[in-house]
Amino acid sequence: MGYDPANPMVDRITDIGPPHFEQFFPPVIKNNYGKWLYHEITQPGVLMHKSETGDECWTVRIGAARLVSIEYIREICEIADKHCEGSVRWTTRNNVEFMVDAKDKVKPLMDDLASRSNKFPVGGTGAGMTSIVHTQGWVHCHTPATDASGVVKAVMDELFDYFTSHTMPAQVRVALACCLNMCGAVHASDVAILGIHRKPPMVDHDAIAGLCELPLAIASCPLGAVSPTKATNSKGVEVKSVKVKNERCMFCGNCYTMCPAMPLSDPDGDGIAILVGGKVSNRISYPKFSKLVIPFLPNTPPRWPETVAAVKNIIDTYAKDARKYERIGDWAERIGWEKFFEKTGIPFTIHCIDDYRLAYDTWRTTTQFKFTSHIK
Amino acid sequence: MAKRDTPLLDELEKGPWPSFVTDLKRQAEKKPECWDILGQLELSYHDRITHWKHGGIVGVFGYGGGIVGRYSDLPKEFPGVAHFHTIRVNQPSSKFYNTAKLRALCDLWEKHGSGMTNFHGSTGDLILLGTTTDHLEPLFYELTHELHQDLGGSGSNLRSPACCIGKARCEWSCFDTQAACHGLTMHYQDELHRPAFPYKFKFKFSGCPNDCVAALARSDFAVIGTWKDDIRIDQAAVQSYIKGEFPSNGGAHSGRDWGPFDIQKEVIGLCPTECMWMEGDELKIDTSECTRCMHCINVMPRALRPGVETGATVNVGAKAPILEGAQFATLTIPFIKVDPESEFEELIEQIEKIWDWWMEIGKNRERVGETIQRVGLPTFMKIMELEPIPQMVREPRSNPYIFWQEDEVPGGFERDVREFRKKHAQ
Amino acid sequence: MALSTEDLKLAIIEKATKSPKPQLYIKDFYKCDPDSKPRVIKNVANELVREGELMFWSSGSTTMYARPDRIKNEETREDAEEHKDD
Ligand code: SF4
Ligand code: SF4
Ligand code: SF4
Ligand code: SF4
Repeated sequence: MGYDPANPMVDRITDIGPPHFEQFFPPVIKNNYGKWLYHEITQPGVLMHKSETGDECWTVRIGAARLVSIEYIREICEIADKHCEGSVRWTTRNNVEFMVDAKDKVKPLMDDLASRSNKFPVGGTGAGMTSIVHTQGWVHCHTPATDASGVVKAVMDELFDYFTSHTMPAQVRVALACCLNMCGAVHASDVAILGIHRKPPMVDHDAIAGLCELPLAIASCPLGAVSPTKATNSKGVEVKSVKVKNERCMFCGNCYTMCPAMPLSDPDGDGIAILVGGKVSNRISYPKFSKLVIPFLPNTPPRWPETVAAVKNIIDTYAKDARKYERIGDWAERIGWEKFFEKTGIPFTIHCIDDYRLAYDTWRTTTQFKFTSHIK
Repeated sequence: MAKRDTPLLDELEKGPWPSFVTDLKRQAEKKPECWDILGQLELSYHDRITHWKHGGIVGVFGYGGGIVGRYSDLPKEFPGVAHFHTIRVNQPSSKFYNTAKLRALCDLWEKHGSGMTNFHGSTGDLILLGTTTDHLEPLFYELTHELHQDLGGSGSNLRSPACCIGKARCEWSCFDTQAACHGLTMHYQDELHRPAFPYKFKFKFSGCPNDCVAALARSDFAVIGTWKDDIRIDQAAVQSYIKGEFPSNGGAHSGRDWGPFDIQKEVIGLCPTECMWMEGDELKIDTSECTRCMHCINVMPRALRPGVETGATVNVGAKAPILEGAQFATLTIPFIKVDPESEFEELIEQIEKIWDWWMEIGKNRERVGETIQRVGLPTFMKIMELEPIPQMVREPRSNPYIFWQEDEVPGGFERDVREFRKKHAQ
Repeated sequence: MALSTEDLKLAIIEKATKSPKPQLYIKDFYKCDPDSKPRVIKNVANELVREGELMFWSSGSTTMYARPDRIKNEETREDAEEHKDD
């Protein structure tokens, strides 16, 4: 029995949900569920969790590209079978965790990982950097303003030492989304790399009738920038179409999703904005949103040197200047954003000042400020 | 499909971080369509623009979510990726796998797709990248019959819920995040597979306020573990930290010399509520002042642990900036029991109050956080049948523009202007 | 009084057939019977999907319903383009 295309509804199974998690636990996890006492990161990438039963779970964390092949997964399986009784897990930030139940099993596992060229870098713990969470980019999405996997690879290559060490004041979480829909929400990251479009959509009057439902295209624009119009197509025929009020456009690409006759991507219009200082943890200070400090960097594949340098500069400056336990946002707030711009040398531009909704929240309404080089 | 030259992408084979390009090339040996992924991506690197088109109506029969249509805009040049749809497979809670399951998934994807995946997508699903429409039904059949797995959510549905590792390997988890995530995913299969809502809706479960799954930033319904009673203190271990026998923050700062551990400066001085002090050799915490920010526990994991009267805080309505601006989830229920025994009925009751209301008054493509903003938190609280408490706000309002209701004012709104005039000449 | 399931089905099909937009949000169907709860309408719309009277259309982030014959399909659209004679 298998799938029968003539009778697709025969024996159809639906709504069974994901498999129950417990069947995948290695014994040390199953036996100590809810009994953990404390943990220690014994070296970058290696965690030891101690249970009240006396058991220890040793975890080796490795960084991974989020875009991976089944050949790669099969290699993970081979390692997990050899060292971890056939169990393995992924973290929320696309790292892979191999778990063993005794300290002396860690070294053979690490040796094995190290023997497989650079495929399985150990790290991503403590006051360091972990894998960059990201979206699809040019590998798989229709609205990206930049690539995702390639930018991430270039940034991680440059910041690799922070991945394999614990030298920063606190953890640094970097995230990338390739358009401002942010299907991977990057808005609360220490450093957010965000693809942005800067040209409004074009309207293809030749194709629009065949490709789109005009009411849906009009309704798709969150800012009401798309309205109905009569236009002349390239054959000189008058057709029902739409027009875009450019000054209202926020370059989100929603219209293009609903109407393929309204493309907006552009090699020179598109690029990257950098936001910093967000976090989700409730530790010490409240969770914070990331703030826009660099409005635009060009798309320069294959290695995006401007973006890599900008991220490295922010993280290096922070690592040198911040106090122990201080996240990037806490640091910037303590020294003041004017000092953040001065210390990082990032030019402050008019685009860093909010003029969208609720903008007033971010304007300064006190006489307290610092005299930095910005005041001439 | 022929091998492609990829001089630009080849630059991404250099450097210490694992290369997705190398991985794609390796997969291309078995799955030649991967050469077309590489070829089209190389062209994007050259042109600095995407070459994918959106396609809206692929799916498996009867499900409104789980598959996202994708087409190349150069199908003749890159026939291997002309149709290249994405499949979301609902991940097991906290993403443990055994190798038998992983291998079965790999075999399934070798048979029905490109061999490329995302482990995992942003919401948490396991994502299979790239297949054609004719493979969708057979793949779904085998996924459900042989692997006993199901698709995840996309569109205006409940999205696949996600959770932190919780009690499986974290000493701080204040409730069973995995059981809650799995239990509610199973309970709401219909909402996950068939569109029911004005827009997407996400549940996320973090075991403590460290919030490792970013529930507060990313979910419409965020359940975050917390506790009511005293932080458990092992005074002997506190002394060991003071003497420098245990590394601070579980060894997180081991790469740099920050000087000897200073409990006054690093713990007591950084406590946001200033509710800790030393009395002789004893560390004291005024529980009634503590806001459970986790800092002291993070710094001294061998000495401090969350209390034992545990449960969760529910915050509602987080979202990314599009459209009204980013929102974190707003505190709605300060403390709720999360009990697998009762099959999470306390949570379910709250969830359904939100849904029944939001399905009715939420606008198309409006996240629940935006609906709450539009109608105001007081209105939302009435829907949720909640008493107003100061915990729901950072500070009281600073404007006096209250929408008084008629029944709040003695005598109501109707008055007789002639009576008024008897005492007040025109 | 709320419509019976059968009447509600007919009303939904009529709406999906006659509406100027071929794709409709679930909320557009609420107007078919203001007395039925949103969940009832959702369940009936989903039953119509099972019966083949409606189908889902998804942008990835939002899902809509449509009559199968009113939908522009990427795959049929491509075929159509290839058969165009101009
Ligand atoms: S962030 Fe935007 S462009 Fe990138 S994958 Fe998501 S929707 Fe597509
Ligand atoms: S890009 Fe966004 S804001 Fe601009 S016209 Fe399209 S939908 Fe409207
Ligand atoms: S959220 Fe808290 S309980 Fe969950 S894994 Fe993170 S630290 Fe542990
Ligand atoms: S959890 Fe936070 S608020 Fe509570 S005592 Fe510790 S540092 Fe202070």
